[in-house]
Amino acid sequence: MAWQHPADILLEAWLDTQDRHLGHYVNGKWLKPEHRNSVPCQDPITGENLASCLQAQAEDVAAAVEAARTALENWSTLPGARRAQHLTRLAKMIQKHQRLLWTLESLVTGRAVREVRDRDVPLAQQLLQYHAVQAHTQEEALAGWEPMGVIGLIVPPTFSFLEMMWRICPALAVGCTVVVLVPPASPAPLLLAQLAGELGSFPGILNVISGPTSLGPVLASQPGVQKVAFCGAVEEGRALRRTLAGQGLELSLALGAESLLLLTEAADVDSAVEGVVDATWSDRSQGGLRLLIQESVWDETMTRLQARMGRLRVGRGLDGAVDMGARGAAARDLAQRYVREAQSQGAQVFQAGDVPSDSPFYPPTLISDLPPASPCAQTEVPWPLVVASPFRTAKEALAVANGTPRGGSASVWSERLGQALELGYGLRMGIVWINAHGLRDPAVPTGGCKESGSSWHGGPDGLYEYLQPSGTPARQPSLSENLNYDTFGLAVPSTLPAGPETGPSPAPPYGLFVGGRFQAPGARSSRPIQDSHGNLHGYVAEGGAKDIRGAVEAAHQAAPGWVGQSPGARAALLGALAAALERRESALAARLERHGVELKVAKAEVELSVRRLRAWGARAQAQGHTLQVAELRGPVLRLREPLGVLAIVCPDEWPLLAFVSLLAPALAHGNTVVLVPSGTCPIPALEVCQDVATLLPAGLVNVVTGDRDHLTRCMALHQDVQALWYFGSVQGSQFVEWASAGNLKPVWVNRGLPRAWDQDAEGAGPELGLRAAQTKALWLPMGD
Amino acid sequence: MGVPIFITAVTNCCWIGADNCVILGILGTDLSWISKVQVNHPAVLRRAQQVQARRTVKKEWQAAWLLKAVTFIDLTTLSGDDTSSNVQRLCYKAKYPIREDLLKALNMHDKDITTAAVCVYPARVCDAVRALKAAGCNIPVASVATGFPAGQTHLKTRLEEIRLAVEDGASEIDVVINRSLVLTGQWEALYDEIRQFRKACGEAHLKTILATGELGSLTNVYKASMIAMMAGSDFIKTSTGKETVNATFPVAIVMLRAIRDFFWKTGNKIGFKPAGGIRSAKDALAWLSLIKEELGDEWLKPELFRIGASTLLSDIERQIYHHVTGRYAAYHDLPMS
Repeated sequence: MAWQHPADILLEAWLDTQDRHLGHYVNGKWLKPEHRNSVPCQDPITGENLASCLQAQAEDVAAAVEAARTALENWSTLPGARRAQHLTRLAKMIQKHQRLLWTLESLVTGRAVREVRDRDVPLAQQLLQYHAVQAHTQEEALAGWEPMGVIGLIVPPTFSFLEMMWRICPALAVGCTVVVLVPPASPAPLLLAQLAGELGSFPGILNVISGPTSLGPVLASQPGVQKVAFCGAVEEGRALRRTLAGQGLELSLALGAESLLLLTEAADVDSAVEGVVDATWSDRSQGGLRLLIQESVWDETMTRLQARMGRLRVGRGLDGAVDMGARGAAARDLAQRYVREAQSQGAQVFQAGDVPSDSPFYPPTLISDLPPASPCAQTEVPWPLVVASPFRTAKEALAVANGTPRGGSASVWSERLGQALELGYGLRMGIVWINAHGLRDPAVPTGGCKESGSSWHGGPDGLYEYLQPSGTPARQPSLSENLNYDTFGLAVPSTLPAGPETGPSPAPPYGLFVGGRFQAPGARSSRPIQDSHGNLHGYVAEGGAKDIRGAVEAAHQAAPGWVGQSPGARAALLGALAAALERRESALAARLERHGVELKVAKAEVELSVRRLRAWGARAQAQGHTLQVAELRGPVLRLREPLGVLAIVCPDEWPLLAFVSLLAPALAHGNTVVLVPSGTCPIPALEVCQDVATLLPAGLVNVVTGDRDHLTRCMALHQDVQALWYFGSVQGSQFVEWASAGNLKPVWVNRGLPRAWDQDAEGAGPELGLRAAQTKALWLPMGD
Repeated sequence: MGVPIFITAVTNCCWIGADNCVILGILGTDLSWISKVQVNHPAVLRRAQQVQARRTVKKEWQAAWLLKAVTFIDLTTLSGDDTSSNVQRLCYKAKYPIREDLLKALNMHDKDITTAAVCVYPARVCDAVRALKAAGCNIPVASVATGFPAGQTHLKTRLEEIRLAVEDGASEIDVVINRSLVLTGQWEALYDEIRQFRKACGEAHLKTILATGELGSLTNVYKASMIAMMAGSDFIKTSTGKETVNATFPVAIVMLRAIRDFFWKTGNKIGFKPAGGIRSAKDALAWLSLIKEELGDEWLKPELFRIGASTLLSDIERQIYHHVTGRYAAYHDLPMS
């Protein structure tokens, strides 16, 4: 090329400072170990070699984690104000070198420079500034929480450096240090780490190593790493979830990139068409789009969409006048394969736009008439494809939109306020935009639900991802290597009659409490419960897979009614339950006494349980709030929505208090629950069920007794259980983590560690409230 | 304004405007689509913001686009102190918009690059016609009319104004609409008035100024655009340049979408003229790329696109000067208009 753009010259100069040989950036220095494989970093359009990049090995990962651990000691104990200062300095550093950053990012990823320059880079700075403010107020606003420690972050190839910023900013702000594993040949994160390193102080807080995603488990297994945050493809996330089961660290997943656009007949169709462009054909998002169009405006929308597509320009990312760049051979092949398959399944394919004929480019593509039952219609839509399908009514649109395992982001286009809100609230998605698509802001939490993974970044939720309640014990690697996932809890030990029942009190009604009444278990067998002297106290029903199935069904049926209740009504019912518990105090205390609890302590336990119910009822009233976003006229609602059907395995200890402490926040936040009570002492929980039966709607609370491992297995593998809390053995925790990969339900496990249920911090702390609901951000731009 | 009233108003138009029945015949059978039109304000604002940054052209491409922009300019003077001398100067500038040596350097000197028209007050039409004749060119003279800029005079005098301007030799008439009719929802009356303007123009082209800054909402802008086109305007124009808010990208996007819808429904291409507040070469490029994006290349010709401006031309000339010489021009390097 005869004439070189000044930006290119700048880029070449930077690469030359590294002798066109990029290593890792660890502890404020470039790390270039010898005897490593290297991969070329290429211009995706010309194939020209820009530099070679080292592939990390396990030792390099260990070195990076070591640097992060060392830095953590100092960084995590700094006053928030000092951390804020440092983040602000980094924001300024990015501002000073933004041209290099955007050129590098656009050149290597192939994305249109306009998007990187005008959106990503300013947003990266805003992220740092927003989180600097959060760090500043941390001591006040986040009292009772402490940083987790070293965070491992795994970013896949197709994601921009901004995805990394979304995660490292909150982590650094709250006092964690970070090791980022980026795919080889993605130099922008390395440049960012260098900019951070060149600030001088705190060199080891941000370390970037480049290597294949397969190093993820190695990164996770390093001592000191408390949490791994992964973003990428769904299947990779699933695999990582299974691999890391039982390793004693937190894993947060942000999976998939498909988005959804719902276009009603009451929409400004032209603007909605621009929304489609924003969503897929403007290099803003990583994935494709599912487009649902109301039948009555189908033809009109297709005409406008196709006309608009004809004016799109595809070309080299650094060209200032293109809409869409190239994303490399892998992305193109993926798109090609999908299109070919869709065609073979009967779909219509429309492609248009000004696209260079040479190979790395893929034109904007619109697919329609794809039969809903075809395999293609089920799989994730890749970039830069839009799959359009019609719907008849808003109700049907919701059913179609919610009928996929994905729960990332969606937009609703309707000028009718009532309809737009109905759809916005009804979509099971992490983010919903009304009459807009793809807006982001540091103050607004971004995340998802279902198989999109339940991790959050941005806003208050992003901070909690990297915080733990003060005093949480450090991670103990506890992988029991030989846990056989195939057989864990598979068989139920058979029980025979165990001698005469002793003691005075008649047992509560026999059976499993499912669907609002006590029912005989499917297996028609029972298990004996012994008191503290080893005498037989009574029999409880032996629940099994079928009983769990029935309980989950009952819970699903009860869910819409309970969600529809106002928080006030929920609080009233919890209050009524508390009052009933109070009346039952002596009976409950007697039960507990039989299990070896001193009468005074037993009474205290009942009393505390009553208080917990009332407290959560009151807390349920204050949920969610409105966020104000710069540059957006109108509010963003941060909604706290129920998880759905929540399965809870209660700990053996504190048979009543733990049961109530877990039940209360779950109900207060609108969930319906299936509980497995204490294994050694399930009777108090069943006592409570007698009051539940008369006070609460049927199916809201289901209590299944039986073999804990077996019931845990059934619930963890149940695809329609939407979240699971497990308090039991180390093996059980590991199994739950492993099995949750199935529907990627959020899980909370205790890893065999006891919990002080009688202390407010652990028994009724804000952590429970956080875990009992999921966030949804609803954007409501306004204007006339 | 209730939607059903609007439908009946427009439907009635079809029977009143008998001599425009070709277009209305096509539209007349089904008008429910107009009432369904929804304009989402924040979404249009976002699009407007994007469109300005979406395309950057540099170097020789930039120069070419700027020269093209010159040919779209309605070089305008609309001041209370206009006299024949400054109108004459304006006309001369219209004929020679870019310094001859600069055009030679670009090898464009024999392409007859002039502005699209000159635009003056009715009382100055004679001066302009005379000056252009003297300069030996056939650049059309456009005249504002109908109580410009407020339109708050009697219909009779407004119509008379048009006739007189046409008599004086104006071949394009920029009329202002009666905003009060839009704001009170009297779409039928608005249609009637523009029909009468149309008749009064005779052979002259009719450009209808919507004064979008005073219409209240983007939905009104869309509906007024549609009425103006149905009543037979050759162009729809954003503003007079005398309102507090003039040519902005959001209203332009709505008007362009209306033009496109009208084209799709009737097959008739109506022109577009933004005016007021377009001062820099960079602005002009953004406008050109907006037209290209929303309507396509076929609208990028003087018959279908104009920019109403007075100071824009000198900034474009300045940029061309820089492109040719590599230096930034001093004030006195370029002839004034």
